[in-house]
Amino acid sequence: MSRIIVMTSGKGGVGKTTCTANLGMALAKAGQRVAVVDADFGLRNLDLLLGLENRIVYTALDVLAGECRLDQALVKDKRQPNLALLPAAQNRSKESIKPEQMKRLIKALTKVYNFILIDSPAGIEMGFRNSIAAAREAIIVTTPEISAVRDADRVIGLLEANDIKAVRLVINRLRPAMVAAEQMMSVKDVQGILSIPLLGVIPDDEQVIVSTNKGEPLVLEENLSKAGIAFTNVSQRLQGEKVPLMDLSIPQESFFTRLKRLFGM
Amino acid sequence: MVPNFSSNDVQGNGDQGEEALNSAETSNNELDFDNFILEIEPETASFEAETIQTKPESNPNLQVQFKSEGGRLLLILPPAPEKSRNPVHWEELRRQLKERISGGERFLQPHTPVHLIARDRLLDSQQVQEIDALLSDAQLPLKRIYASRRQTAVAAATAGYSVEQQTTLSHLGQGQEASRQAMDEPLYLQTTLRSGVEVRHRGTVIVLGDANPGSSIVAEGDIFIWGHLRGVVHAGAGGNAQCRIMALHMQPTQLRIADKVARSPDDPPAQYQPEVAYIGPDGIRIALATEFALADLTKKESP
Repeated sequence: MSRIIVMTSGKGGVGKTTCTANLGMALAKAGQRVAVVDADFGLRNLDLLLGLENRIVYTALDVLAGECRLDQALVKDKRQPNLALLPAAQNRSKESIKPEQMKRLIKALTKVYNFILIDSPAGIEMGFRNSIAAAREAIIVTTPEISAVRDADRVIGLLEANDIKAVRLVINRLRPAMVAAEQMMSVKDVQGILSIPLLGVIPDDEQVIVSTNKGEPLVLEENLSKAGIAFTNVSQRLQGEKVPLMDLSIPQESFFTRLKRLFGM
Repeated sequence: MVPNFSSNDVQGNGDQGEEALNSAETSNNELDFDNFILEIEPETASFEAETIQTKPESNPNLQVQFKSEGGRLLLILPPAPEKSRNPVHWEELRRQLKERISGGERFLQPHTPVHLIARDRLLDSQQVQEIDALLSDAQLPLKRIYASRRQTAVAAATAGYSVEQQTTLSHLGQGQEASRQAMDEPLYLQTTLRSGVEVRHRGTVIVLGDANPGSSIVAEGDIFIWGHLRGVVHAGAGGNAQCRIMALHMQPTQLRIADKVARSPDDPPAQYQPEVAYIGPDGIRIALATEFALADLTKKESP
């Protein structure tokens, strides 16, 4: 049976789309057949992160309007043919699609794909309700900030109210140095509030910005960056493998840097 | 001769439907992952019963449009959203109207009387007043309202406008079989088209400004961009393969002419010059504007 997973957060800008793109790509690399669905109508971004923007011919709305078949709207990734994107329309609002229609789209996708990742828009309005309509599992993406955690908490409540019980957590953009200096919430702090199983921790990494702008997910790189490894680990845990959490503690200062600091250099 | 300049820049991609069709015969039960057909289930019967009475407008390229006719300006609204394949709801309509008014400042002469053709749209008196307010910002007086729905006519009359209720709009040729071949007059826009803006026009579109990534223009005629073209543009959307796309800075997300699709090269060129996209023997091609005009002339001279 296909797994239908919604990626959501409540708050905007915490990295839902980045997580969807990387997780989708990592799962496809592992041989899974993955469809990523952009549910952010009117503010679509997932196509950009995957570098597929200029291959879009039809969108989900064209499928629903009967202008094309679903397979014609799916954009297959050239680098990783196991991955396909169902693009959202950019010129409409979130109200232009109903939860029932979303269900029909996802139901058809389950015939071919065994992982369906739905990239939810920020907020808890219509767009959010559409994106969770067909989902059976959820991944909550949050950053270690009180505002993001607060919103995540609210969303978890809404998911439970909608009978989505398998909810797991990805903590994005963690800065181990700041946590060590007690300037940032730790993984434990976040988990303490949200109390849902942890799927992974992604360290803050400048490479994420580079990969976003290039349209190439981190997990495709030859030499995986720390964030790239973390995303790969999350994808493995999602497939049921047991992978220990990455060691994100800061490396011990070398003798020289300590010496330098001692002399105020 | 047609110049070959940067013909490698674009790759034709318009035949994905065919590919999928062939696979239908090969397998029935087992899905071939490389080549499959996927369709969504039709909507449930109860929903269909509601929509079946209304005949959907076959042309999806209908947006708010201005048309000058005998010294007056006709403001023609798109058909009622429930009847259209590309529904335009009130919020969207207001946005389109705003864009058209602010984008065509020089084309719209102040103090030209405007006749609002509401067609079968349902408008309340507040919405009519809002349209009037938008028009008066451009110093365009709203003189008369034509509506085929009784409610709209009543609402407009109570708001104090002179109203004419008509059952058909045949004299305007809207939705008529015979008039469908004729294109509308060119749409002139002086504006920047930002992400999410979609301009649909049954004719040629001229933009004095940039078309940003995420914007799209669907025209049944040619498309001229006097600026940077970075969005998606579709010329000859009605199927006319003779249509062309011209831009000072051709860097589109995607080009479409009639039923052909092409995308930009992965490595952008270092320099941009005005270019023309047209359909050649092997799909969409791009030529330098200066050379293209010359080639076009010589082609006409030769027998």
